[in-house]
Amino acid sequence: MGCFHSKRVRRTPQYEDHTILAAETPFTVSEVDALHVLFKKLSCSIIDDGLIHREELLLALFRNSKERNLFADRIFDLFDVKRNGVIGFEEFVRSLGVFHPNASVEEKISFLFRLYDLRHTGFIEQEELKEMVLALLHESNLVLSEDVIEMIVNKTFSDTDSKGDGKIDLEEWKEFVLKHPSLIKNMTLPYLKDITLAFPSFVVSSEVEDSEM
Amino acid sequence: MDKKGAVLMHKYELGRLLGQGTFAKVYYARCLSTGQSVAIKIIDKEKILKVGLINQTKREISIMRLVRHPNIVQLYEVMASRTKIYFVMEYVRGGELFNKISKGRLKQDVARKYFQQLISAVDFCHSRGVYHRDLKPENLLLDENGNLKVSDFGLSALHESRRQDGLLHTTCGTPAYVAPEVINKKGYDGAKADIWSSGVVLYVLLAGFLPFHDANIMELYRKISRGEFKCPHWLPPEVRKLLSKILDPNPHTRINVSELMENCWFQKGYKQSENGGLLDREEEMHSSPSTPRDVRAAFEQHFEGNPEKSEESSSMKPTCMNAFDIISLSPGFNLSSLFEKDLIQTAEARFSTTQSTSTIVSKFEQIAEMERFKIKMKDGMVKLESIKEGRKGQLAIDAEIFEIAPSLHVVELKKAAGDTIEYNNFCNQDLRPALKDIVWAWQGSLPLEQQQQEQTV
Repeated sequence: MGCFHSKRVRRTPQYEDHTILAAETPFTVSEVDALHVLFKKLSCSIIDDGLIHREELLLALFRNSKERNLFADRIFDLFDVKRNGVIGFEEFVRSLGVFHPNASVEEKISFLFRLYDLRHTGFIEQEELKEMVLALLHESNLVLSEDVIEMIVNKTFSDTDSKGDGKIDLEEWKEFVLKHPSLIKNMTLPYLKDITLAFPSFVVSSEVEDSEM
Repeated sequence: MDKKGAVLMHKYELGRLLGQGTFAKVYYARCLSTGQSVAIKIIDKEKILKVGLINQTKREISIMRLVRHPNIVQLYEVMASRTKIYFVMEYVRGGELFNKISKGRLKQDVARKYFQQLISAVDFCHSRGVYHRDLKPENLLLDENGNLKVSDFGLSALHESRRQDGLLHTTCGTPAYVAPEVINKKGYDGAKADIWSSGVVLYVLLAGFLPFHDANIMELYRKISRGEFKCPHWLPPEVRKLLSKILDPNPHTRINVSELMENCWFQKGYKQSENGGLLDREEEMHSSPSTPRDVRAAFEQHFEGNPEKSEESSSMKPTCMNAFDIISLSPGFNLSSLFEKDLIQTAEARFSTTQSTSTIVSKFEQIAEMERFKIKMKDGMVKLESIKEGRKGQLAIDAEIFEIAPSLHVVELKKAAGDTIEYNNFCNQDLRPALKDIVWAWQGSLPLEQQQQEQTV
């Protein structure tokens, strides 16, 4: 084999990716490396192809790949930024970045808005809100009368729809969340601060140059 | 190589060298964004790969994640480059404990306090299946408040690293702190070996010199294997008795941690007082204007009156959930399950109930009375705090009551303080069964049957 390459150290694509991802998300390079360990685990649970399929996400969330769940489906759709039916590593890291304790509240609020905008109209409509409440009650085996459900949905919807135009836009949603900060609780994962300890195998494979530490 | 001033991962600025050993150098460092002081241990990857310690290092990182205790130096995060591994750890300001005795032996009360803190750390780690195996002076540090911090728990692969400064370095490389069964290289019980080493530490604190000492190393081995030591005449009999139970060369008859913690001399003044937060909470509990009975009375009135309107001072008003709150209960939406290997370990649980708030509250009162918990109520929150001292202070549990509709409540249980293992045991063995009559369904990431199955495993 001839030596055609220059003496410069050749970097693997993975190394480049991780450095860029770290620069553009709240994670350090080591945290991206650690997330890669998690990603590899999730993405090979059913089909070992380096991509997370819908069933693999469901399996991780519910220990059951056949579980039907509206909210998990919505999470998958939002993580699948390229809308090609699978979640790649870059999509995984960028989306999880929104869940980082240091990510901006603004980002968290708008991620959640898109999650609740089931039909991608740019608004949360009363029908969507009701559909989600029904889905939650159903998946939790909770029974409420039609009247009570209607009352809860109406009340919340009119409280949020401050302009009173029958749909919730991003601005109204922000206002409402700022009044009820617990609504974005799910949008912060304290675990993300701890991932280097949770997935320590990355210490062996890390390729970051020392000069760039 | 001078690293001072270098910035790691755009996050930590390196300061002065604190110490070094075979595999590692330890630097002082500061987090750029928070200003927090940390100690960073920089390990040469090549060296530990060469001696085959890399897998053990990985395992030990996972272990360190489990041992968070006020008397244990915490590992915050790990970073890595192509050639180095970086351990970012709690920076402990007060230096080594043994600098203290270089000025002479300690008063009994002071020695006891350090020993209690040491045993508290040891007991906590043992409950997680983690053994130190190399407790010795350079691993015992003091923070700025004079509290003991054990370093390198669970990091026995890297124990060779020594500090540059600090006294009693003459003891390094001698087996002065090591249990006889470890010296004899028999298969040994890590828990009993840690107890032995703690006993040597206690002796040194009280006497100002080592229990086993000899210029001739073979002679020293012999003394250790026979447990041959003399107590200075000024040590009170109860301490001598305790020391002889700890420095028993036979690991099978040697005292164990729980027996040790019940010892009268050890018990004196042992109240986890280092945990200042608990005292505050206790005061809050006492100053609570309403005893449980008053609250219930208030409730009954509340319910006899017009439940719709009465907005008044009753401290037990469940938080109303709006439609978006209700949606956010979905486990499909809770990504923390991606990070938890063991769902049963989750510190939070939720159940729904068709009972009224007053029924829910009186159920918690019954449980509190039965299980000897103090109880306090505020704004839809029931706070329970154990009277018994736990492994990590008193166990405290918050139960928050939410109203979805007058006929449907959701109660969220959360550990507020204490040891996670004790909390999980209490929930599974006592709390959940006791709540059975009022629970409609447990909510969470797993269907109930599956949850129960996993619990019984």
